[in-house]
Amino acid sequence: MKYIARFFVFAIIFGFCGRPVLAQIYGTNTFEFQFGNLPFEEDTDLTTSYNQLNLYYDSDKISLFGKFEQFFTPFKSRNYFDVTQKRFQFQDDNLRIRIGNFYETIGSGLLLRSYDIPGSVFESDFYRTRYAFFRDLEGIAFDADLDWAEIKAVRAEPLQNDLPPNFEPDSVRRPDLVEALQATFFPTDDLSVGAAFMRVNTPFSSDYSEFVSLISSVQLPASFQVFSEYAFNTSSDIFSFSRNQSYALYAGLNYYKGSFGGSFEYKNYNNFRLGSSGFNDPPSLIKEHTHPVLNRSTHVPNTANERGIQVEAFYSFDGGHSLVANYASTINNVARRSRFFEYFLEGTYKVNDNLTLKSFADYAKDDPKGQDNRISLGLIADKGFQNSKNIILDVQYQNFDELGQSDKSENVFASLSFGFSSGLSVSAVFESTTEPGLTDNPNTFPEIETDPRTWFGLNSLYKINASNSVALFIGTRRGGPACTSGICYEILDFEGAELRITTRF
Amino acid sequence: MKYLLIFSFLLGSTFSANNEIPNFRLKNLDNRTVSFNQIKGENLTVIDFWATWCKPCVKSIPEFVKMDEEFDDDDVKFIGISIDGPRNEAKVKPFIKSLGVKYPVLRDSDSSVMARLRVTAVPTLLIVNSDNEVLYFHEGYKSGEEVEIKEKIKELLEE
Repeated sequence: MKYIARFFVFAIIFGFCGRPVLAQIYGTNTFEFQFGNLPFEEDTDLTTSYNQLNLYYDSDKISLFGKFEQFFTPFKSRNYFDVTQKRFQFQDDNLRIRIGNFYETIGSGLLLRSYDIPGSVFESDFYRTRYAFFRDLEGIAFDADLDWAEIKAVRAEPLQNDLPPNFEPDSVRRPDLVEALQATFFPTDDLSVGAAFMRVNTPFSSDYSEFVSLISSVQLPASFQVFSEYAFNTSSDIFSFSRNQSYALYAGLNYYKGSFGGSFEYKNYNNFRLGSSGFNDPPSLIKEHTHPVLNRSTHVPNTANERGIQVEAFYSFDGGHSLVANYASTINNVARRSRFFEYFLEGTYKVNDNLTLKSFADYAKDDPKGQDNRISLGLIADKGFQNSKNIILDVQYQNFDELGQSDKSENVFASLSFGFSSGLSVSAVFESTTEPGLTDNPNTFPEIETDPRTWFGLNSLYKINASNSVALFIGTRRGGPACTSGICYEILDFEGAELRITTRF
Repeated sequence: MKYLLIFSFLLGSTFSANNEIPNFRLKNLDNRTVSFNQIKGENLTVIDFWATWCKPCVKSIPEFVKMDEEFDDDDVKFIGISIDGPRNEAKVKPFIKSLGVKYPVLRDSDSSVMARLRVTAVPTLLIVNSDNEVLYFHEGYKSGEEVEIKEKIKELLEE
């Protein structure tokens, strides 16, 4: 009886007796079916299905959201159905309140960063469970915009996303409690200054760690922009920069004039992995590559101690040609001193309206991975035809000296893609490696395989219409580290067939 | 209890059959928060989701710069939304300036607006009318597709 009474109360509040509001429900659904397994797995031909439904409801200033995930395999312990995100949001022109699961970043991410990678499906190597890859916050957030200031306040628990949704106890997936307040002021159109205060409660501790961040951005004359953020633990000495303190400094300068653009960035991080889940993400200052041989060779910052710079310059020529040059250098000093540096040059030459050539060259030293004299080269040719058809040939090569190995390790990537005007595209991808860590089959220990290892796969994607698409993969796919939107995570090898159906409604 | 709340909430609303986008808010390249309704076009708005690291996006942007100039008198507004995270934010402004972009560019560094607009890949282009209804949705970019996009804008302007 009391539920019926409550129903009427809510119905009255939300519109029965008020003015009806225009509302809509919409969403996306991703279904993925796999038949196959990891290449070295003994139980072959594992069948799995994964489904992710994102459902939104918008009505004037109110919106609701739910993410529903389901994973099914022959192994009961891996299966789950869960509402992995839910959110209530109120928003008008100057105010926003969110309750439930949401995303928020403080400053440049030195103190707190959350993210979503829409459409991604992550598979945990240890739990062999598939789930959406995101790091959200669960709690409440408030933000307000005024002409002269912006204020945000957050009280939430960040997700530890290396644990799958069916992990028990669930509380372990959100071990930290974060309370943060950030205020940014705009004294002039060209200047913003701000500060953030954050306190963190970690498991098994009744004490709070407290952090402060100072943020500024100045647009200078002649198209220069300078920005900086300095964050520190309040128990550390401010601006001391000594080894036993906890701080993070990030600063940058960018410039553009005509067809030229450039940026310079500096980082200095020390004892700055925050919380037990590591929910902050200071900028890495490493070039983000989409070329496969370089994408998986990226450097992930070690916030225990890391400092370095990144310089990038780009120029767009008349006729659609362009040039990009990047230099990044990083030094870690944790148990021992290690260095990463990388020189990268990429040129795009538009031969005519239908043919574009792109090439890159990269030279790097990567002490944390034990790689030296790493040379990567690539050539991509994109030929367009009438009616939006095209062919892309992409060939990439990499070699390097690996610590403890007498021979150079080599990686080869080649793909040939065809795009058709009907919405169909198909591609063939070949990869090979002589990296000792990848050629060896761990199941045959103590035997060590050293023959080159190869992968070959066929991809096809058919866009049925603007709302539906079907993708099919057949063959073997190389895994390894992958970076998307600045977030790096591990992808597992796969051998078999994979079908993905994506729907927007 | 919570299901009652949701159910009564839904009943209290009138559903729209239209495919509307919400009035989202994002920071621009001067670090100021703006809402979509503040900067959208009088007639049509073309929203381009892109990133500095996305090869097809970089190829498509010069074509949108040309279209932005071409449709300037027709109340068609272009808006770029960069999904670059803090890792690449320093590069976004000089990068788009070097490409001659004059239209507003916003930053969706956690991809939350991207997800809310049901975009799962970059580049993705949406054409939205003055009532925020999505009239056209285009995922990916291949050389030559700018012709199709331009024709679509012309067709929608004539309607």
